[in-house]
Amino acid sequence: MKRAAKAAGVGLPSALIADLRAATSPDRVRVDPLERAIYGRDASLCVGDEPAVVVFPVTPEEVAEVVRACNRHGRPFVARGSGTGLAGNAVPLGEPVVIVTTKLNKVLSVDAGERVAWVQPGVLNLDLSRHTAALGLHYAPDPSSQQVCTIGGNVATNSGGPHCLAYGVTNAHVLALKVVLPDGSLAQLGGLDPEPAGYDLRGVFVGSEGMLGIATEIAVRLMPDPPEVATLLLDFMDVSAGASTVSDVIAGGLVPAAMEMMDANAVKVVEAFVHAGYPTDAAAVLLVECEGLPAGVKASVDLITETGQRNGARTVRLAADDVERDLLWKGRKAAFGAVARLAPDYYLHDTVVPRTRLVEVLEKVYEISARHNLTVVNVFHAGDGNLHPLLAFDSRTEGVMDSVHAAGEEIVLASLAAGGVLSGEHGIGIEKRDLMGHLFSQADLAAQDRLRACFDPDGLANPSKVLPSPSGCGDLRPQVKVPAGAWV
Amino acid sequence: MATLSASRGSTGGVPVSAQGGRRLDLNLDADELATCVACGLCLPHCPTYRVSGEEGQSPRGRIALMREVAKGAAITDEFVDHMDSCIQCRGCETACPADVPFGKLMEETREAMVSGARYQPLWRRLGYRLLGAPRTLRTLSALAALAQRLGLLPRRLNLPHLPLRRGKVPLGSPTGGGEAVWLFTGCVMDAWMRDTHVSTARVIALAGGEVMLPGPRAACCGALAIHAGLRGDAKRLALRTMDAMPGQAPILVNSAGCGAALKAYGELIATPSAEAFSRRVKDIHSWLAPRMSLLPATVAAEPEVVAVQDPCHLRHVQRAHLPVREVLSQFAVVVELDDEGLCCGAGGAYSLLRPAEAAAVRERKLAAIRRSGAAKVVSANPGCALHLAAAGVNVTHPLDLLAKRLEETP
Repeated sequence: MKRAAKAAGVGLPSALIADLRAATSPDRVRVDPLERAIYGRDASLCVGDEPAVVVFPVTPEEVAEVVRACNRHGRPFVARGSGTGLAGNAVPLGEPVVIVTTKLNKVLSVDAGERVAWVQPGVLNLDLSRHTAALGLHYAPDPSSQQVCTIGGNVATNSGGPHCLAYGVTNAHVLALKVVLPDGSLAQLGGLDPEPAGYDLRGVFVGSEGMLGIATEIAVRLMPDPPEVATLLLDFMDVSAGASTVSDVIAGGLVPAAMEMMDANAVKVVEAFVHAGYPTDAAAVLLVECEGLPAGVKASVDLITETGQRNGARTVRLAADDVERDLLWKGRKAAFGAVARLAPDYYLHDTVVPRTRLVEVLEKVYEISARHNLTVVNVFHAGDGNLHPLLAFDSRTEGVMDSVHAAGEEIVLASLAAGGVLSGEHGIGIEKRDLMGHLFSQADLAAQDRLRACFDPDGLANPSKVLPSPSGCGDLRPQVKVPAGAWV
Repeated sequence: MATLSASRGSTGGVPVSAQGGRRLDLNLDADELATCVACGLCLPHCPTYRVSGEEGQSPRGRIALMREVAKGAAITDEFVDHMDSCIQCRGCETACPADVPFGKLMEETREAMVSGARYQPLWRRLGYRLLGAPRTLRTLSALAALAQRLGLLPRRLNLPHLPLRRGKVPLGSPTGGGEAVWLFTGCVMDAWMRDTHVSTARVIALAGGEVMLPGPRAACCGALAIHAGLRGDAKRLALRTMDAMPGQAPILVNSAGCGAALKAYGELIATPSAEAFSRRVKDIHSWLAPRMSLLPATVAAEPEVVAVQDPCHLRHVQRAHLPVREVLSQFAVVVELDDEGLCCGAGGAYSLLRPAEAAAVRERKLAAIRRSGAAKVVSANPGCALHLAAAGVNVTHPLDLLAKRLEETP
């Protein structure tokens, strides 16, 4: 350890480091400069500071001790799972201690009768479903990164996923949380009862992006595996035909388990990776999944097929078996990474617009990207209007970052103008913090800040995220009037 | 759960003490290094990340570390350790939607570490050299086998039961006039698992092949040398191996690691003849699968249930793991493991050099094997087989299983 401290150079908070070592164990407190550097990033482009220290607790008690040590030294802290965040939610700001939760990775208990599991925050989303597969149960929210993202991270960002169209996002699947509050004290929020007494602080915590504390044990709802599943791939010669199909299916009274859309660029990169037979000459494809009792699934498939054909679908393909289904979904879920086939960097956006205005906003997205000479790839949760325009570029190109940021902001503002919101599932983090003023009034933001201060008066938990600093937010005024019924 | 970091320093896995402030030119291709978009989809497919949960022990983290050093950051002991702890299974390459050439980046980084960070001390280099000296290797192996019988070898080496005697590999074919094929025999496999070569040669002959052996010049494919960053040694071994198997005949390999290395001579030596050589290389199962109908009927009343353990260099590098199933399914009930081909922790010399990590990774494989319910496991790579056998797994090479079944068939 002496060796590591020497290599790290001067200026390290040695008293804090000693306390962290006492709180955990010396080999789980890292100060090596390279090791700290790689914890300065997540899967987004957001740039933060290097953490002062990286620490790996293995028990909830250690998490609490680490947070208490941070309090004693007035040092901010940031919890981090697998680092797959796309809005810089866990990117360190203010030289904090990064508390990595990946070693807290146990499924603590599964109650098949009550369909509840208690898990530690570092359990990977897909691992939980694998763990309960033999019981015929699964955890429904399925972000595209589900094979690698942690349940703790899902709680922090209130993650969505393709199947959240039918089943709701993370918030609908978290029953209770045992948390370490920002001052290091312990609390349980929510409970397993159908209607726990008091304020729904669980609901406040889910989606709070690490600003209200660190969840160390999470009770999640498990869903029974559906008796029948059908996966359809429809392809269209123009994007608006695909988008109209989405609106028409839902207007027709059917909410499928998932309704995903990919445009031509997306289909090309995805097919090059998975070889699932995606039609690479299509302008757009819809990946639709129906679940339930066999007769209901059959009726759904018929309705979707008919609606697609009425809107000009070129082909409607029904996955023949699980292998074909898995391959189609593998393509959809690897789409973001596969964009590297176009360019080495991407900026993935996340906004939500009313479903009826999908076509209009998509056209705007293409127009904005073309104007900035950027390649855009669209892969998104069409069923709930959650857009993911993805700008592909090479950061080594002179001046490209300015174009990327300008185009990104225009896309967000266009979504807001159409009655949308800032984020569907990635959260605000650093990325959209300074855009909050476009959607929320000063009074709204002040109320959110007061709520935060109730949990964390000293501002140590994941500071400088989500809420713009008062000086910054004075410059931004809501440019759009939030329409009634918008999903704020 | 297993904690890799707890074993740091206790394994002898970090042979170098890098001085603070020391720079290292990694000589990596900037475009290749830029291909990673940091999406993180590789993380769960990385065995060392799976058991440690640490970014520095993941492909994405290791690439981020390479980038830091390529940008001019000083290397540290932690950097060297995170590079050394990679098993080079290349499971990340199969998982990567961006086709990042991780294996190449890691080999090149290690090569740079050999010259600039005193990576690979003399004793390790001598060990790798030994693999190319078959007579010395055999003598030492026989001595080790004797010592093992006398209880003189420490248990923590976790060595398999070493053979004192080795059978003779039958040449040619019983009827004569078959398709001429080379059977690559390799180093450790030939010393410790000669029986598998005997089985392989018998099956090849029955399937209409006429076996030729390359002799001592093709003593070692050089895979371990290249994984260690000793590219010069690897090239010398490769040239000798190419020289030992001239002509156009297919080169059949029953060790997944060796096959992957031989198939990569085209890139390693980068000459038209090396490329032509690599094109002749086939994993034994790929050659055998379309010829299974030529074998005598092997259908047993009760086919044996076997779980298939895919060697990483067959599944993730050669991507030729499916023919193993085609071969096996004709005489056995094949059970798949549910771990998506996650590495078993053997990794060539890895299990000897970093035994704590190798054992932690193996625990996951053992759990997958238990879940499969199969009492027997087949593995087409000697390293994996030895590593699993050391943990008490009943493991067999598919060709041994097939040869035995053919023998039992009246």
